[in-house]
Amino acid sequence: MEILSFNLFISALRLATPIALVALGETYSERAGVINVGVEGMALAGALTTAVVAYFTGWPWLALIAAIGVGALLGALHAVWSVYLRADHVVSGAAINLLVLGFALFLTRVIWGWRGTSPSAPTMNAWILVGVGLFLIGLSQVYIFRTPWGLRLRVVGEHPRAADTAGINVYRTRLAYTVLNGALCGLAGAFLFNNLGRFTDGMVGGRGFIGIAAMVVGNYRPLPALAAAYLFGFVDALQMRLQDYIPSQFSLMLPYFLTVIVLAGFLGKAQVPKALGKPYVKEQG
Amino acid sequence: MPAEAVRMEGIVKRFPGVVANAGIDFSLHWGEVHGLLGENGAGKTVLMSILYGLYQPNQGRIFFRGKETKIRSPHVAIQLGIGMVHQHFMLVPRLTVLENMAVGWEPRIGPLLDRRAMRRRIESLISDYGLEVDPDARVEELSVGEQQRVEILKALYRGAEVLILDEPTAVLVEQEVEALFSTVRALKEQGKAVVFITHKLHEALEICDRITVLRRGKNVGTLPASEATEERLAEMMVGREVVFTVTPEPVSSQGQVLLSVEGLQARDDRGVPAVRGVSFEVYDHEILGIAGVQGNGQKELVEAIAGLRQPTGGRVRVGERELTGQSPSKLAAQGLVHIPEDRHLRGLILTFSVEENAVLGRHRQPRFAVGPWAQRRRAIRIYAQELVERFSVSVPSLSAPVRTLSGGNQQRLILARELSRDPQVIVAVQPTRGLDVGGMEFVWEQFLEARRNGAGILLVSMDLDEVMMLADRIAVMYQGEIVAVVRRGEATKRELGLLMLRGKGAVD
Repeated sequence: MEILSFNLFISALRLATPIALVALGETYSERAGVINVGVEGMALAGALTTAVVAYFTGWPWLALIAAIGVGALLGALHAVWSVYLRADHVVSGAAINLLVLGFALFLTRVIWGWRGTSPSAPTMNAWILVGVGLFLIGLSQVYIFRTPWGLRLRVVGEHPRAADTAGINVYRTRLAYTVLNGALCGLAGAFLFNNLGRFTDGMVGGRGFIGIAAMVVGNYRPLPALAAAYLFGFVDALQMRLQDYIPSQFSLMLPYFLTVIVLAGFLGKAQVPKALGKPYVKEQG
Repeated sequence: MPAEAVRMEGIVKRFPGVVANAGIDFSLHWGEVHGLLGENGAGKTVLMSILYGLYQPNQGRIFFRGKETKIRSPHVAIQLGIGMVHQHFMLVPRLTVLENMAVGWEPRIGPLLDRRAMRRRIESLISDYGLEVDPDARVEELSVGEQQRVEILKALYRGAEVLILDEPTAVLVEQEVEALFSTVRALKEQGKAVVFITHKLHEALEICDRITVLRRGKNVGTLPASEATEERLAEMMVGREVVFTVTPEPVSSQGQVLLSVEGLQARDDRGVPAVRGVSFEVYDHEILGIAGVQGNGQKELVEAIAGLRQPTGGRVRVGERELTGQSPSKLAAQGLVHIPEDRHLRGLILTFSVEENAVLGRHRQPRFAVGPWAQRRRAIRIYAQELVERFSVSVPSLSAPVRTLSGGNQQRLILARELSRDPQVIVAVQPTRGLDVGGMEFVWEQFLEARRNGAGILLVSMDLDEVMMLADRIAVMYQGEIVAVVRRGEATKRELGLLMLRGKGAVD
């Protein structure tokens, strides 16, 4: 059959990359106990930053670094709200999504006079970022389960008080991994821009949330989350080819439909970190 | 004069509305086991939490190895060589023993955790102190006693020279207590200093070299264990003579079956059969005790009877009516009440007020509510006031959240609520857990009173002394089955202990 060509599997890998990067970032922050639903906005900010920097400087590499930096900053903002000021994690993340979306509409109008889109700008080969993503995921699998720092990360998300008595700074750990989550979302956004060559405000299109779903399906483990992300990427690639056969309104639904189905099956089974979403308060006195 | 490990001088610790430590002096020597004795709320745990760096004292000084020391956090305490095993373990259930012990002090090869070196360290500690545990087991798979061993091992791995054990025997059964005591003796022989917090007098006398008694935040006195007797310590603890035991007066049952359980089966949370065909009857004017090591299906048995867990087989009858798997409110309507093991999870809503908790479960009755939407505030208040007075629950106010009450008063409130329903059948699990002498006595008296009035009581407890003292008959539960039923006085503590540990095979 023509649809199931070798190309399909290759483009699935490409489409899976932003999802897998978000899933990796979320794995880190949730392992530390911080829910981040702001991934959608953080990825969008990454894409926008890449577009702006690449457009003005013509240096895609600088744009990449800037995107990671902006993602990290948004991660830090989320950490300040949720870890230090103990705001509800979901509310803080949702606020970031809205903030970035509004800012994107504003900035595209100010710079290019267009509503929510950019003209095309210099890109780098998106395959490089696919490679970077795969490398980071493999490395993370070892980091989380085989190194002392990974062990500390896991304890912080499960039993922050035990971590505290072991001399681990719970707040700083949560801050660090939330920043890392933001940076990885920025990287995902940079990939999205380099993949398409220009910015549109809908370009993340739920991939952040699907990334969180991939993390849940992967049970908070980088490699299984990659596999889940690949599944989502595969269905996305498949639906593009199916558009020749069935109305696009239906085929476009497929990845989201799959997310709902798969999540329904996995949600109760994932081993959610015990202290997830709960603010840590040091013993008083 | 043996060398002093720790000296605390004039420690004062105030919490909003309470003075937990009112100027306590305390000294601890190397190579001794020092008992810290007192009723709940006497300030034992607070004093030791100050030594462990969890709280900062408002006044007072701490000397460690003869030098004045500020202990700002548990991490500082651990680095000094002070370890503490809390009542609530500081362990991550999903991680392995090895991982739990290593965190914060991980041996490394390059960037990786050196599991092999860690395992060697654990194994040498295990053989030094006889604390048998599998380093690669997940903590959630271990029994409470084993988890406690992991906590002790963890403290030793971190270099503890001073070890604080906070009510270590509260969660253990007879035979585990023996194992713990031999570990404590081994620690002492190594020259370490051990603080043993307890409110059980005979334990303090058995294991300790010196005993310090606290009462209401003050040090009442420190004396060598050899000069102490239970009576003397008890007097120091409560400031009055106490009765340790209650004696159930003989009452004759009419032979009427109030609760009958037939071939009951239930699964635990993981879906594994935990109750495998249990049958028994509870008669009027009777207390049936269920003894057993924790985790032998008692929890599931009680939940299946009390309507909190769907039985997978068998029948439960209250009086004449079959009520298998019915909801707690239906059971209560038939006269069965439940005093749950976990007061905070099942017995009370901690953030709700005393009066709201006092009518919990009956809040929909016309007496307390108008239709489904409106409460009769006044009626609730008057009723709560009545309960509080009748059962002498001491509360700051009726509208204070229940979490501000001490454990003993929380339990009194639960008893007040449930027993005031004049129940036919009382199902109680560990009703005196964590209570002080006065609180225990109160609970026991209440049960005996209910028994006198004709109720049937199912008493599940891990405290064998309690079961042997109160129960008319004792059923021993082992691996989900009742392996023996004996009348009061028919079996010794030792025989029951063996049955609890090995089941039927114990009696050959």
